[in-house]
Amino acid sequence: MKILIADDSRVMRQIVTRTLRQAGFGDHDLVEAADGQEALDKTNSERPDLVISDWNMPEMTGVEVLRQLRAGGNAVKFGFVTSECTPEMQQQAEAAGAAFFIVKPFTAERFGEVFSPILG
Amino acid sequence: MSVEVVVNEGDLAEMVEQVWVSYLDPEGVSPLVPTHDENQPTEVHSSVSINGSWIGHVVFACSNLAARRSAGAFMAMDESEVSPEDTADVLGELANIIGGNVKAMLPPGAHLSLPQVVLGPESQTRYPSAVRVSGLYGVWDGEPVSISMWQSRADAQKEADAQKEASAQKEASAQKEASAQKEGGAQKEAGA
Repeated sequence: MKILIADDSRVMRQIVTRTLRQAGFGDHDLVEAADGQEALDKTNSERPDLVISDWNMPEMTGVEVLRQLRAGGNAVKFGFVTSECTPEMQQQAEAAGAAFFIVKPFTAERFGEVFSPILG
Repeated sequence: MSVEVVVNEGDLAEMVEQVWVSYLDPEGVSPLVPTHDENQPTEVHSSVSINGSWIGHVVFACSNLAARRSAGAFMAMDESEVSPEDTADVLGELANIIGGNVKAMLPPGAHLSLPQVVLGPESQTRYPSAVRVSGLYGVWDGEPVSISMWQSRADAQKEADAQKEASAQKEASAQKEASAQKEGGAQKEAGA
């Protein structure tokens, strides 16, 4: 499977990568994006099977990326890893078609819970 | 009377514990030990601004060594191998994580900015229209680390005034009740 990790923090992209590995999902193809626009462009060009996205990013927020993808007919599995976790955001994410919502700080166990059904 | 804040020191301590367990101290050997010293010197800091239902800033500040250590812990590498860019990145992420968790405790309708990182002491940065409303100050492996919340001066004043008024009203009604009781007792006595 191909996974796109979108976060404006390079260190956070590394941590997501490491946590995926720790949770037992180390053998997937990984692609990275450093802002919302890049996440949108790469999701369309690289055709990942899963997008793990930050919420608060320069150029475009994660939920705007998701909305634009859906508006363009892209049904890729898409979810958030974010430090913000208000009920309004979770509702917005769900309404936009997000598959999961992981709150920072997170653990490998939490990744296991969320990604096992998706990545097998 | 102390002003009650939406996110107090205890709440900040809980968030900090989460961050320590997840990233900075997964083995649980070096927690942040509180010093309650709000004047402890720091060398670098990062912040996020919050707007909307609550207006202010959340600031993470620490020494250079603590910043490099944080970056090393985040990236699972030795602190001596960490670049200044990665240190700044991690400082921003720390403000973002704590700011995001703070936001979750605020009334709905708050917005979080992208983090800002300053590789200089916290005392260099001024928040001219904000006052510190709560903070957690401590040492991590002997190095100073702090998290503080700064609220819009006007809003902080409004909240303090509202609380003052509420407590004055409470006191007035308690006095009224006490004198009514006294009066009632006196009447009873007179009647007897």
